[in-house]
Amino acid sequence: MSTNPATSLPPYAGIGLRAPHIARVRAERPALAWLEVHSENYFVDGGPAPAALAAIRRDYPISLHGVGMSLGSADALFAGHLTKLKELVHRIEPAAVSEHLCWGHIDGRHLNDLLPLPFTDEALGVVCERIEIVQSALARPILLENVSAYLRFTDDAMAEWEFVAAVAKRTGCKLLFDVNNVYVNAVNHDFDPLAYVTAIPGEAVAEIHLAGFDARGACLIDTHGARVAPAVWSLYQATIERFGPKPTLIEWDTDVPALEVLLDEAAQAQAILDTCHAVAA
Amino acid sequence: MPSLRELQRSFATAIMDADAAALGDLGIVDNGLDPAARIAIYRNNVFGNYRKTLAATFPVIKRLVGKPFFSLAVDAFVRAHPSMRCDVNRYGGELSLFLADYPTARVLDYLPDVARLEWAVDQANIAADAAPLDVAALGAVPAEMFAELRFVLHPSAQLLQSRYPIFRIWRVNQPDYVGSDVVDLGEGGDALLVFRSDDGVLVERLSAGERVMLAAIAAKRAFGSVAERASEAEPGFDLSDALRRYVQSRAIVAFRTPIVTRTENHP
Repeated sequence: MSTNPATSLPPYAGIGLRAPHIARVRAERPALAWLEVHSENYFVDGGPAPAALAAIRRDYPISLHGVGMSLGSADALFAGHLTKLKELVHRIEPAAVSEHLCWGHIDGRHLNDLLPLPFTDEALGVVCERIEIVQSALARPILLENVSAYLRFTDDAMAEWEFVAAVAKRTGCKLLFDVNNVYVNAVNHDFDPLAYVTAIPGEAVAEIHLAGFDARGACLIDTHGARVAPAVWSLYQATIERFGPKPTLIEWDTDVPALEVLLDEAAQAQAILDTCHAVAA
Repeated sequence: MPSLRELQRSFATAIMDADAAALGDLGIVDNGLDPAARIAIYRNNVFGNYRKTLAATFPVIKRLVGKPFFSLAVDAFVRAHPSMRCDVNRYGGELSLFLADYPTARVLDYLPDVARLEWAVDQANIAADAAPLDVAALGAVPAEMFAELRFVLHPSAQLLQSRYPIFRIWRVNQPDYVGSDVVDLGEGGDALLVFRSDDGVLVERLSAGERVMLAAIAAKRAFGSVAERASEAEPGFDLSDALRRYVQSRAIVAFRTPIVTRTENHP
């Protein structure tokens, strides 16, 4: 493995930067410790998007967050996708590179979604092999994010947190610990979210995600379309108390609100981080 | 216990085709919500993503057919032309082909051409960048060599033709359009240039001479041949004025001089 650290993100609050806010962030440069973008939005040859990202990179550390690598597919990785990520990493020199613990394509056909894996030894082997390929191509550890799920498979051989911890241990990858996804899964699959937090090796956690869910229907749905729920703030507080201060991101992808709303959510996360920094000092 | 490949194959089939057998093969835990309802959540998410993505790429098509019809058409398109890429942003290039054969859309027979235009606009926005043409270097080219020059279009430049007035259809359906939105389908077809300038993607209507000129340049013809073809297509066509305009708007970004080797010059 290379000497390049997995992350140089500062342990403060940041926001996911989406298209509607790019112009304002470029013009006003709000006081944020760092920004995260979706890697695939910049897999393009030219035009306004890469130019804007290059300009923003001069003012902020950037985290590249991928949604399409499909680390858990039985199919091999799409080589072209990895090449594009590698080129983007080279151009942007991000503070962190993350992907999701999920699958998205099979037999060459892509469903372009974050689909749930069975927690089996076979899936564990596949995910670890793919992560090692990506880490070796990028010459740096990646951050792996746990996803929300609306079903579980009868063949599961272990709990989600055991699977996640095993991947980190085997591959040396870091974890992007999504507190909202832990909460959503705890409600949907009936477990204690604190048991999940406790089972995760804190030193492997390099970033935290917070977002809002949709509570209509029988399952909580991870929509990234609302403010962080009170129960998720509580779980975040407990998570930070256990792991220490970690770079924390507000994600909002559906019905993206005014930038002020995101900044307000980030300020709330920062207040929780500050109490933790104060205790540490 | 199914292999990972078998499980993912059944999952994809259960989502795409609402296949009961595939659903049974998956082995989904019930836990208060039946497996079909759980898979339906994923089906809604997957199709919802595609509807949202394609609505962003094809806003005029969506406006022309209305949201309910657009959603149905996208769902059918996704089943007929599955995404083959990890990056959903690049999905939708075959929508115009699909619409040409989609029964209910055939009533609006200009839809496929409007879809081609929207896709061209989308592609122009992400094509490679190019420096402007070096005007001083062009000025230094000896007059007798001009007929041999090969001009180069911006990497984003695309030429489109339609039997329908798709420029006006597209224009009156833009969010910033003000004025009458009546389009007379009898007004005839369009030849269009789509490219990205410093101000964003532009869609320009072309005269016969402009169309032939740009098509000949795109086909890498020498400027002498470009000139002949353009004046044939449009008697009195002012080629040097058109060249100046396209260099200024940056639809044309470079020129290549002929490769003249020593042996050719001095046999």
